[in-house]
Amino acid sequence: MSRSLRMTPARWAALGAAIIAIELANRVGGPGMSLVLAEMLILALFASSLNLLMSYGHMVSFGHSAFFGLGAYGFTLMVTKAGLPVEAALVFGPLAAALGGLVFGALCVRLTEIYFAMLTLACAQITFTVLFQWYDFTGGDTGITGFMDARFGLSEANFATLTLVVLGVCLAAMARIINSPLGMSIRSVGQDRWRAEALGLAPRRVQLVAFVIAAFFAGIAGTLFAVSQGSAFPDYAGLGFTLDALIMVVIGGLHSFWSGVIGAVIFTQLRHWAPLFTDHWELALGIILLVIVIALPHGVASVAGKLARMLGLEGRK
Amino acid sequence: MIWVQLVNGLMEGMMLFLIASGLTLIFGVSRIVNFAHGSLYMLGAFLTYALVPLVGPGTVAGFFAAVLLAGVATAAIGTAFEVLALRRIYGSDPLMQLIITVALVFIIRDVVRWIWGANSVTVPAPDALMGAFVIGGNYYPVFPFVIFGAGLVVVLVMIGIIRFTRAGIILRAGTDDRGMAALLGINERLIFTGVFAAGSFLAGIAGGMAAPYGDVNYLLDTTVIVSAFIVCVIGGLGNLYGALAGAMLVGITKAMGVLYFPRLSMVLIFLIMAVVLIARSLGRQGGPAR
Repeated sequence: MSRSLRMTPARWAALGAAIIAIELANRVGGPGMSLVLAEMLILALFASSLNLLMSYGHMVSFGHSAFFGLGAYGFTLMVTKAGLPVEAALVFGPLAAALGGLVFGALCVRLTEIYFAMLTLACAQITFTVLFQWYDFTGGDTGITGFMDARFGLSEANFATLTLVVLGVCLAAMARIINSPLGMSIRSVGQDRWRAEALGLAPRRVQLVAFVIAAFFAGIAGTLFAVSQGSAFPDYAGLGFTLDALIMVVIGGLHSFWSGVIGAVIFTQLRHWAPLFTDHWELALGIILLVIVIALPHGVASVAGKLARMLGLEGRK
Repeated sequence: MIWVQLVNGLMEGMMLFLIASGLTLIFGVSRIVNFAHGSLYMLGAFLTYALVPLVGPGTVAGFFAAVLLAGVATAAIGTAFEVLALRRIYGSDPLMQLIITVALVFIIRDVVRWIWGANSVTVPAPDALMGAFVIGGNYYPVFPFVIFGAGLVVVLVMIGIIRFTRAGIILRAGTDDRGMAALLGINERLIFTGVFAAGSFLAGIAGGMAAPYGDVNYLLDTTVIVSAFIVCVIGGLGNLYGALAGAMLVGITKAMGVLYFPRLSMVLIFLIMAVVLIARSLGRQGGPAR
C-alpha cells in the first residue's frame, strides 16, 4: 500500500542528481531536446496529479484529461474572451480545472471502483465534446491559436527550466498534502473506506477533496501545456491524454509518490525515440504494457526500489 | 422525418446493445471491463470490408456471410487474447486488468492502421437493400430495418441460449456465484474463455452489420467504447436487460438529437446517465458492483 513520503539522504541525493541531469541535458542538448524535456516535465506533473488520486486515494480516473483541457481552455479563454493580460489569465487555468473537478467530482464520488472509472470517462468525453462542438465560444476543432507568443517568447531552454521549477514546486506541495492529516484521511479512505467511515471520516467528502486537488494540479499542467504550445485544442481533454497519463502511472508503478514522474520520463523518451526504430509505436507500446502488467505489476519504481536495497542504499522495510 | 430518425435510432440502439451485451456478459462472469471491446467492433467492421468482395459482393447472402465470418475471426482473436494474456491476471488488481485490455486497444489500432491505412473506408450495402419504401409520404431506407431485424434475431438467439441451454445455465451460475459454480465442478476457465469468445463474436458482427452505415476508420474504437460504457452504466453492469433498455434509450436519443439539438445530444445522454447514477446511488452504494 502507499506509504507516507519520507526523504532519506540517499533519496535527496538521487533527486538532486536527477535535477542536475535534466538541467544539463536541457542546456547541452539544443532546442529540440529542450522541447522534449519541457513536454516531459509537463506530463510528469499531469501524471503525478493522477497518481495522487490512484496511488493514495485508490480512485482510478479514466477522465483526468478533462482537467488538463479545462486548465488550458480556462487560461486561453480568459485571454481571448475576457481580454485579460496573459500573465493574469494564468491563474484561471487551474481554477477552471478545480471548479470542473468540484462539479464532476461531486457526481463521480458517489460511485466506486469500475463505475467511478466509467463515469469519469464520460465526464471527460462530455468536456471534450463541448470544447469540440461549441464553435462560437471555443473555436471547435480549429482550437484557439495566436493569442500569445508560445512560451512567453522564452527560449526553449529557459522555458524547460521554468517547467522544471514549476514541477518541483507542485511536487513539493503534493508531498506536503500527502504527509498532512488531510493526506492521511485520503489514504485511509483509499485503503478501506468502510473502516475510515467507522472511524468518523466522511469518505465521499474526503474523496471529493482529493479529486479537486488532483484536478487543480492537472489544471496547472494543462495551462503550462497551452503556454508551451501557444494554443489550445479540444484534444487536450481527449481520451488520448488520459490514457497517456494512466500508462505513465502504470509504467512507473502504483503506490509510489514518484510513479507519475518516472513513468512520464520513460514514456515521453520512448515516444520520442521509438519512431527512429519502428513505424509501429502504438503496437510496441501495447506489447510493453502487456509485458509490464504480466511480468512487472508493480512497475519500474519497484525495480528501482529493489536495486536501491540491493546496493544497500536503503534498509529493508 | 421523426419516424425515419426513430428507425435509425432503433437500429443504432440494437448495434449498441450487441456491443454492450458482450461487455456486460464478460463483466458479469469475470469482473473485467474490456476496454478493447470497441476495438473488436472496429476489427469486425474492417474484416467485413475485406471479406465482402471475397464472399459475395452485392448480394444479401454474401454480406451476411461476410459479417458472420468477420464475427468468427474476431471471436478467434478475442479468445487468443484471453488465453494468452488476460488469463494470467484474473483476480489481480482491477486496474491491471483494465490496463491489459488498454494494451489490446493500442495493438489492434496499430495493426488495423498497418493493414488498412489511416483513411476511412466504406463498405457497400447489398444492392437489394439499397432502396427505400414510402409510407405516408416519407421515404424509409430499407437497410436500417434489415439491420434492426438481424440484430433482433441475434438478440433472441442469445437470450434463448442464456435461458434454455446448458451453456446458458452454466453462464448464469457463473455470474451469480463464481465460487459455488466452481465447487459444483464447473470449469471456471472454460466459462471465462467461452464468454470472452461470445462477447468478441457479438462485437465483431455488430461492427460488420453497422459498417455500411457510416465511415469505417481506426478511430471507431474509442467512440464506440464510450457509447457502450454509457449504455452499461445506464443499464447496470452485468445486467443484460438493463443494457437493452439503455442501448435503446441512447440510440434513440442520439438519432432524435440529430433532428432537434445536434450539438447537445451527447450532453443530453450524459445527463440521462448522471440522473440514473444518482437515482441508483441514493438507494444502494452505487449499484451492484459496489
